[in-house]
Amino acid sequence: MNAFSMRMLRGMGVLAVICLSVTAGVAETATSRMVAAANTFLSTLNEKQRQSVMFAFDDEQQRARWSNLPVTMVPRAGLSLGELNAAQRSAAMALVSSALSRRGFEKVQQIMQGDEILKSNGASRPPGGNAGNGPPPPRGNGPPPGNGGNRPPVGGPPGGAMFGKDLYYISILGKPSEKDPWMLQFGGHHLALNITIAGERGILTPTLTGAQPALYTLGGKTVRPLGQESDKAMALLNAFDDGQRKQAILSYRLADLVLGPGQDGKTIVPEGLKASAMSDRQRAMLLDLISEWADIIHESAADARMTELKADIGETWFAWSGPTTVVSGKNITAYYRIQGPHLVIEYAPQTLGGDPSLHVHTMYRDPTNDYGRGITKE
Amino acid sequence: MKPRRIAAAAIFLALAGVASAHRLDEYLQATIISMEKDHVQASMRLVPGVAVFSSVIAGIDSNSDGVLSKAEQWAYAERVLGDLSLAVDGNRLRPRLVSVDFPAIEDMKEGRGEIHIEFISDLPRGGPARKLTIENHHQTAIAAYLVNCLVPRDHDIRVVAQTRNEQQSFYQLDYVQGAASREPAPLKWWASLRGWTASVGFASIFDLGMRHIARGTDHLLFLLVLLLPAPLIASGSRWTGLAGGRRSLVRILKIVTAFTIGHSITLALAALGLVRVPARPIEVLIAVSILVSAIHALRPLLPGKEAGIAAAFGLIHGLAFAATLGELGLGRWERVAGILAFNLGIETMQLVVVAVALPSLILMSRTRAYRYLRIGGALFAEVASVGWIAERLFGVPNPVGGVVDLIAHHAAWIAGALFLISLACRGLRDVLDPQAARREIMTESCAVE
Repeated sequence: MNAFSMRMLRGMGVLAVICLSVTAGVAETATSRMVAAANTFLSTLNEKQRQSVMFAFDDEQQRARWSNLPVTMVPRAGLSLGELNAAQRSAAMALVSSALSRRGFEKVQQIMQGDEILKSNGASRPPGGNAGNGPPPPRGNGPPPGNGGNRPPVGGPPGGAMFGKDLYYISILGKPSEKDPWMLQFGGHHLALNITIAGERGILTPTLTGAQPALYTLGGKTVRPLGQESDKAMALLNAFDDGQRKQAILSYRLADLVLGPGQDGKTIVPEGLKASAMSDRQRAMLLDLISEWADIIHESAADARMTELKADIGETWFAWSGPTTVVSGKNITAYYRIQGPHLVIEYAPQTLGGDPSLHVHTMYRDPTNDYGRGITKE
Repeated sequence: MKPRRIAAAAIFLALAGVASAHRLDEYLQATIISMEKDHVQASMRLVPGVAVFSSVIAGIDSNSDGVLSKAEQWAYAERVLGDLSLAVDGNRLRPRLVSVDFPAIEDMKEGRGEIHIEFISDLPRGGPARKLTIENHHQTAIAAYLVNCLVPRDHDIRVVAQTRNEQQSFYQLDYVQGAASREPAPLKWWASLRGWTASVGFASIFDLGMRHIARGTDHLLFLLVLLLPAPLIASGSRWTGLAGGRRSLVRILKIVTAFTIGHSITLALAALGLVRVPARPIEVLIAVSILVSAIHALRPLLPGKEAGIAAAFGLIHGLAFAATLGELGLGRWERVAGILAFNLGIETMQLVVVAVALPSLILMSRTRAYRYLRIGGALFAEVASVGWIAERLFGVPNPVGGVVDLIAHHAAWIAGALFLISLACRGLRDVLDPQAARREIMTESCAVE
């Protein structure tokens, strides 16, 4: 072996060592990124704000304090974006963004934008009541009102504003940590992200997404915040043969979410078409549809979740109720549900507002792992 | 360009804003039941939309003082319970309230309040296969009902099927209860067989098989039309002679048995996943099978080979049965018991239909009127089958399915009427044509020879 190749080899070795050490130094995990973003956000707050935004990890009332309804109807706690200054607000959004995938964060922004549009319409009154999903503000289960340790939920801001980007609330349950479990909540009207972090694990269930208007124009572009959820489901239904359709399409009307807010931990008997009776291609389409929810969270948690759901796929059911066609470029007006051993997804168009293709609520759950209960063992 | 787009967006959004002010005019009533061995528990969420709030609240606040007293709340909950019909295995249940929880009246006014009612009902002892029904008549005009069942915590309870009407005002839960619903213990052959059959809800699937064939009017029409020429003898291309009574009976039994063998084979193959055929061609072929048997009833295509036709087309009908069985989502092992139960259900109903039709056919075949019954029935089946083919092959909508279903709906009356008519024809013949009776005796003896 000549001297040249020896030197070459040594050089390559050194390079490899440098590369490795650099990678190790920079190799921050999704959790460490989130913890850093959370600490940055908290450091921008004053003491009073910090107290408002922090809750105990196992605060069941705060965990369940989310809804599809506007914040004036079901008050959220934590800090609203409207109460924050510009620096605090961008730190808050950076924290939310660190917990989500790019597509997930985009979805969240589009939902919030839709609400902003609802506000700029001058809709300051409730949108005509609810569609039956809002749980009553938590009460009855916890300590009686007036208990010192139990902060009253923060109400909506004065002035009667009911919609808009300012009315999304952030809260942190537990101390942001790379080891110990903690939660980030972000939500408002038509949005409830409940993200539990436990070490490298990230759990997004239960999460609610919704949209009204579910189709709007912004800067000349048509936006459908939950458009993929509609299109991919329609494509899946259309991929079924007659026999499969017969099983997938339920013969009865589903007026609303079955397992909406307040229905944590429930598993109903699944219905519709079981994926074991689907072709490989159809199963792949179903997984792709599921990914619209599973991939909202940051990539490594989403990958782990999709692996779990892929393993379950044979035991996963797909059920459809309502119109089986869609106007091109619009959203479906049918209800559908995807249910597996660790999954419930519901997509429920709302008649409220007149056109069900313009108003939808969706629910994403793992009845075995609401708020990460399955992995954080309390 | 840009300002115009913004203006367009603004108009669109303004419209959306108007739309979002529309009110919700439904009274959501969502029930989730949970089954236990000896009782059923249910929780109801009642959410009046703002537009119907005042009419709902008027029914609660009976003294109209704007306050919902505890007494008024419980009285209302009792009324809701009174509007429910709960039954198990056909026996009316008497549910009792466990808890009643009302939101503040202001919350309800804004359409966000949920009334929560929980009730419970003891279940009388019953067999392994049980049936729970819930009918909700509360505020039907404005109601949007949802009914669901939690996956039972008790592994001795297994849900077999859920049936609802379109509004979900009617809900039926078929389930299997008892140690039998567990996985079979492979110790004793008989015990495991019993456990196994119960585990798939043998009785329920048997029932499903019966209902399937009773509602599967196309299957029955095929069989009945094939039976039409059974009491006759073909000569050349015409139905002329009369087969003897016993010979007719043997023929009919042969046809029914051949049909059974045919569809059992393919039902088993398809249900076990050994054969996979798309639904549409099967549905078309079933319609074709009716057409063929109808033509055969007019002019003998394959005289004396009815059993062969029945067996061959039975193979096709079996594939359609399998699709229904597939909907149950049974596991592979359960499926074997399921096939057996389902097939027995089909057979039973088939035999009932044949037993009802048979006396009329044989009686009437001894009269001239039979010619008209045979030709009329065959023509009807031809029209129906062509309608079905058009619908299933080309998606041409037509009223055939509806008409046939309507007739099938009154099947008992029609069968009764047919029997009376055949009696009348026979009586008339004996009066008008006494010779015929003697002829018949001769044919009978020929047939015996």
